[in-house]
Amino acid sequence: MSRAEVERLGHDSAPPRAWLMGLAAWLVPGLGHLLQGRWVRAVLLGGAVWICFLSGLAMGGHLFIMGGNEQGLSALLQLPPMIANLGSGVPYIISWFFGVGFADDPAHAALATFEYGNTFLLVAGLLNYLAMLDAFDIAAGRKA
Amino acid sequence: MRHFLVMTAFAAMAAVVFGTVAKDTTRDRLTYGLKVFAEFMAIGLILGWILYFLPF
Repeated sequence: MSRAEVERLGHDSAPPRAWLMGLAAWLVPGLGHLLQGRWVRAVLLGGAVWICFLSGLAMGGHLFIMGGNEQGLSALLQLPPMIANLGSGVPYIISWFFGVGFADDPAHAALATFEYGNTFLLVAGLLNYLAMLDAFDIAAGRKA
Repeated sequence: MRHFLVMTAFAAMAAVVFGTVAKDTTRDRLTYGLKVFAEFMAIGLILGWILYFLPF
């Protein structure tokens, strides 16, 4: 695509700051907006993601990871939920570091709120991807 | 009751994020967020009733 076409379409390459803000927003939910002085957005978006993630853990939800010992299609089935969980950023990494939420035993799965917890953990990551894109767009000047 | 509360919490958090990242004015965002919340709740309740009548 030529420069003229890019300008005609109103797109331009994003500045490095936008990528940094996107990275910050992914790593710590709410941080990308906080660094840009968007306090209200940071509290709303970060708050929603943190509450969603912590509620998911409190309800006994399961965090997905590709451990390398899955067989056949099982490994592939772990990938989409792992990508969703990974969207939470640091909360996922901390949980992985301390081994919280990765237990895969029948007693854990028998909890009445197990599926709710799973859903909350998955959605926390997916919502943070949206927040990350928002922070990126604001830093790139594509959004007010 | 617990199921309903969890569904409400889920709908509220999703609506907050959807409303916040939406474009337009603050009023439009608020309206959109409320609309998303209402849709999540309504669809959840409708699906709940449909599943109640299924024999499996």
